[in-house]
Amino acid sequence: MIDMLVIIDASHRDAFDKLTLHRTPGALPFAGKYRLIDFTLSNIKNAGVINAAIFPLGNYRSMQDHVGSGKRWNLDRRNDGLFILPPKNMLLPGEEMLSFQRMHEHIEYFRRSPQKYVMITPPSIVWNTDIEKLLDAHKASRAHISEIMHGGKRLKTFIIEKRLLLNYILEYDMIPYKTLKDLIVDPKIDKNMIDHEGYTSMITNPYVYLKSNLDMLKFEIGKTIFSNDYPIISKEKPAPPTFYGHDARIANSMISSGTSVYGTVENSIIGRDCIIQKKSAIKNSVIMNNSVIEEGVQLNNVILDKGTVVKQNTVLEGTPINPFVTQKEQIITDHSGLKVLMVASEVHPYAKTGGLADITGGLSRALSKKGIEVSVAIPLYKSVKENYHESYQFVTSHTTEYKGEKQEVRVHVLYKSKVKYYFLENFKYFERPSLYGYEDDCERFSFFNIVLEEVMDSLDDFDLLHLHDWQASLMPVLMKVKRKKPLKSVLTIHNIDYQGLCNPEVLSGRVMPFESERLNFLEIGIAEATRITTVSPTYREELRHEYYAKNLTYPLARRDRDFYGILNGISSKHRPIKDPLILSKYDVNDTFPKTENKLFLQRKMKLSMGVRNFVVAMVSRITEQKGFNLILEAMDHFLEKHDTVQFVLLGTGDESIVERLKILKDAHPTQISLNIGYDSAVPNYLYAGADLFLMPSRVEPCGLGQMIAMRYGTLPLVHKTGGLADSVEPYDPISKQGTGFMFDTFEVEALENTLENAYHVYLEEKDVWKSMVRRAMQVDFSLDTQAQKMLEIYQTLFNE
Amino acid sequence: MKTRALAMVLVGGRGSRLHPITKRKAKPAVSFGGKYKLVDFVLSNLTNAHLTTVGVVTQYEPYSLMNYIQHGATWDLDIPDGGIHFLTPYTSYEGDQWQKGTAHAVRQHQYFIDHYNPEYVLILSGDHIYKMDYNNLIDAHAKSGAHMTMGVFTPNDSLKRYGVVNIDSEGKVTDFEEKPATPNAHAYASMGVYVFTQECLKNILNDETQEEFDFGKDVIPKALRENYDVRTYRFDGYFRDVGTIENLYKTNMDLLDHPEYLKLNDYNHLPLFTRSSDMPPHHVMRHDLIKTSLISDGCLVSGTVIHSILSNGVTIKEDAHIEDSLIFSSAVVGENSVVKNAIVLEDTIILPNTELVFDEVTVIDNETLWALGGEGND
Repeated sequence: MIDMLVIIDASHRDAFDKLTLHRTPGALPFAGKYRLIDFTLSNIKNAGVINAAIFPLGNYRSMQDHVGSGKRWNLDRRNDGLFILPPKNMLLPGEEMLSFQRMHEHIEYFRRSPQKYVMITPPSIVWNTDIEKLLDAHKASRAHISEIMHGGKRLKTFIIEKRLLLNYILEYDMIPYKTLKDLIVDPKIDKNMIDHEGYTSMITNPYVYLKSNLDMLKFEIGKTIFSNDYPIISKEKPAPPTFYGHDARIANSMISSGTSVYGTVENSIIGRDCIIQKKSAIKNSVIMNNSVIEEGVQLNNVILDKGTVVKQNTVLEGTPINPFVTQKEQIITDHSGLKVLMVASEVHPYAKTGGLADITGGLSRALSKKGIEVSVAIPLYKSVKENYHESYQFVTSHTTEYKGEKQEVRVHVLYKSKVKYYFLENFKYFERPSLYGYEDDCERFSFFNIVLEEVMDSLDDFDLLHLHDWQASLMPVLMKVKRKKPLKSVLTIHNIDYQGLCNPEVLSGRVMPFESERLNFLEIGIAEATRITTVSPTYREELRHEYYAKNLTYPLARRDRDFYGILNGISSKHRPIKDPLILSKYDVNDTFPKTENKLFLQRKMKLSMGVRNFVVAMVSRITEQKGFNLILEAMDHFLEKHDTVQFVLLGTGDESIVERLKILKDAHPTQISLNIGYDSAVPNYLYAGADLFLMPSRVEPCGLGQMIAMRYGTLPLVHKTGGLADSVEPYDPISKQGTGFMFDTFEVEALENTLENAYHVYLEEKDVWKSMVRRAMQVDFSLDTQAQKMLEIYQTLFNE
Repeated sequence: MKTRALAMVLVGGRGSRLHPITKRKAKPAVSFGGKYKLVDFVLSNLTNAHLTTVGVVTQYEPYSLMNYIQHGATWDLDIPDGGIHFLTPYTSYEGDQWQKGTAHAVRQHQYFIDHYNPEYVLILSGDHIYKMDYNNLIDAHAKSGAHMTMGVFTPNDSLKRYGVVNIDSEGKVTDFEEKPATPNAHAYASMGVYVFTQECLKNILNDETQEEFDFGKDVIPKALRENYDVRTYRFDGYFRDVGTIENLYKTNMDLLDHPEYLKLNDYNHLPLFTRSSDMPPHHVMRHDLIKTSLISDGCLVSGTVIHSILSNGVTIKEDAHIEDSLIFSSAVVGENSVVKNAIVLEDTIILPNTELVFDEVTVIDNETLWALGGEGND
């Protein structure tokens, strides 16, 4: 018996995307017949621990179902045993680690448990460890708290005396730390690091998930994890042994009970009760329980969630870094020749006011490279007509009755890089100098949707519509009222603040399946589209809350199961080795020229030139949302404290903030370069020359600047929100790893501390900074990845 | 809760014709279909029928079986209301209660039946292979008002092996004969599955004066003699009583050649439960041939496996060749060895380069290998 209780910290969701949409990471199937939490529970059992508590995130049904009373792990006890301690707020977003506050919600549990020590560990580590040895090492160190690590990597695993932990829990609202992970960084804490040898893998994303599964196929690793003396115990369902048919071909694979194999399986893990039909080939993949692989299917680097059906002759191909991931119980069909019509208000390079055009354009091209036949439909704006009338060709014309008038629409097509661009020409509504900003915008785009719906069948035989923002949101409902079999549709929300609010008159007599005094285009789109996506996983989570989703909180909540967050990609043209707009080109292997770019930037911005100066840059719209209230105050202090810090800002926006920025500039005239109204279209030399890229937005659905900055080796400093949280890996002072800096609470002090931290690393830990720069430059933000994730959604829409 | 029906599962059989498979274990503990044991069928049938008060009557080599069944959690029979009870021979005031025949064994545990006082008592064997809903049998019995109902079936082989039942037009049993020399072609075979109305069972067993008595040999003829109302219930599903090695082998092979017989993959209708091995899924290490075979958890396969069944934790080393064989748990087949037409028992270690190719199905264990090795040295 061991005098320690174990807290299983299942309070985080990590970057699993679809795999953890409906389960916590601990409940993820692993190595065929296990779930991740089995490793932790089995370590608990094998060490003789008799008191364990799971702190789950919101949806813990599948974990509850799996662990039951804990009997299999000897935790079904009269005294102590297994506890599941849910959060008071079930909608709580995932946390990085179990907070003292959440422990405080169950303070009674800590008070009642008689054990002297507490271990806190996540349920998502694949390891077979002797917990007793870890405790002995902690005791021998005489430290207050021990952190268990593996080869310099943190495992969110700590051992502490319960008496001390209770103090932190009781004072959670008075101490500056939320978790043990934060606390241990404090230099005043008497801490100890224990390095755990032997195979250890903390599963935090699909890449590590696939890799660790396949590691089990390396015999030398597998035998240490699945040891006879310290077995890993799971809840087992009844299933007969695996059946191999006459044509099965197997190499280096683990195949669980109940599965029937008639095809080829190589270097893969197959779960329980799957069927793998003949002439199919599975390589380097993880197939979870109850999946069906039909004839002629080919899979490589794929993670199929439970109950996925892959229809005949479908080819799914991911990469080891970006495996193709499906969601539970989906039917995946062959996508070759799938015809998708993108409907948007702008597309690069023909019509662009902002980021939306880059995304619709980039995504269309990336999807067409993956074998999708992509078409794009936008209104023929005046600017497009002027610039491209010689390039496009007339296709068809269509006349319709709209608001008491006959309106003619002429459709033109332009075929470029395998993508078809359809332009809808109508003098009254579309041929204006600007794309939008007119009083009748609602009417214009209502008309756009109505005529597109009427004319699209004469353009092509589309399989699917991909709609962008409110300007395309009426398409599903228009199809629904007119067609027996409306096309499937995916609606992407780029900006939830623009919803298209107007009078139902804009429908001009087109019937709606509901009556309303006011139309909200986006709300209708959310209700009627087959699937909904937004621009980052974290923003998708944030949109569950009224603070972010406002009036659409409830409509989105109703579509929670069909709603996905996919991080936008950026074009591969953002590369410092190919960029003609910067002084010295460089890449990850040699970042030295960055210094020359820095000097160039300083000269151009009329700042004192000096390699040792710390250049903080911003390229941003100047609005409150971008965090300027914090910046003004924090920067004032930061510049005051360090005269070697320089601040460069490019942007336009809110006059009152600009005024305040000018005051700031007057306070630090030699340290600040303000470039208001400056052409921010080509700020590449700024990305190349700066040291730190500041982007402390209060809200940021995706964000582009931080990704470009990282490509250029400029470390971002961001607020933990939306796409910023998804694209930046925050610097960790213990493991010394990260791709940028991040602060959590949206307060001046937090930003200021993080600026100080960043500057400290820059000055004092040059090697760490360099390795962070290299890491940041290598993060994959490709359009190809974004397109693949979109494809994962497209391919689930067609069953039969 | 009042118990409607209670089950007595007879697991004391020696299974002497299965020797040496049953040398160290009772017949119901014999491995089947890779990861199962024979007793899984009866226990799964019981739990599927929600018959959760079960007496397991043991005598011969009970340890491995008791250790396997434990509290019955695998079959959800670890419940406070009833559940699994091991009924072992015991010493009483009257002397040692050594079991002499199946019916004799049940009579010794009359106290157990009295304790639960059910309406019906089901008498079952722990070593039959079949998936059956006992409620249908009990309902038919209750509806007919008979004193006793026997489960019967039409065997796929000769009736001569079985207890043979003839019935009249109303379904009443007219006569019964154990292993008759010249059975009536239209007769049925007894499954060894009986349901008694409790009073009737008590009466028949209690006024028996014979020292040794069995259900088949003694109780049924006696019930017929004494004009009890004995009826049959016809079971049309797959039923096998694997009395011999040949039968055990064939029934296993049915899983490969006729998976539709037992439908082990059907978890909705009469699923078959077995105790977890707590082993990882098996690992096929090299690009070798596996054809028409069943492979269980924990196996490491580097050789060729054709038309064979591997139990949990079997190791097949490089270039070994397994064909038409059953390999029981934790056996090891060394490099380059060939095994054909064999049943390799638990924990057997076959050294590299061993050739075990037989015309008739042959049981291999460490002792037989020792003997073979000895011959080789002469």
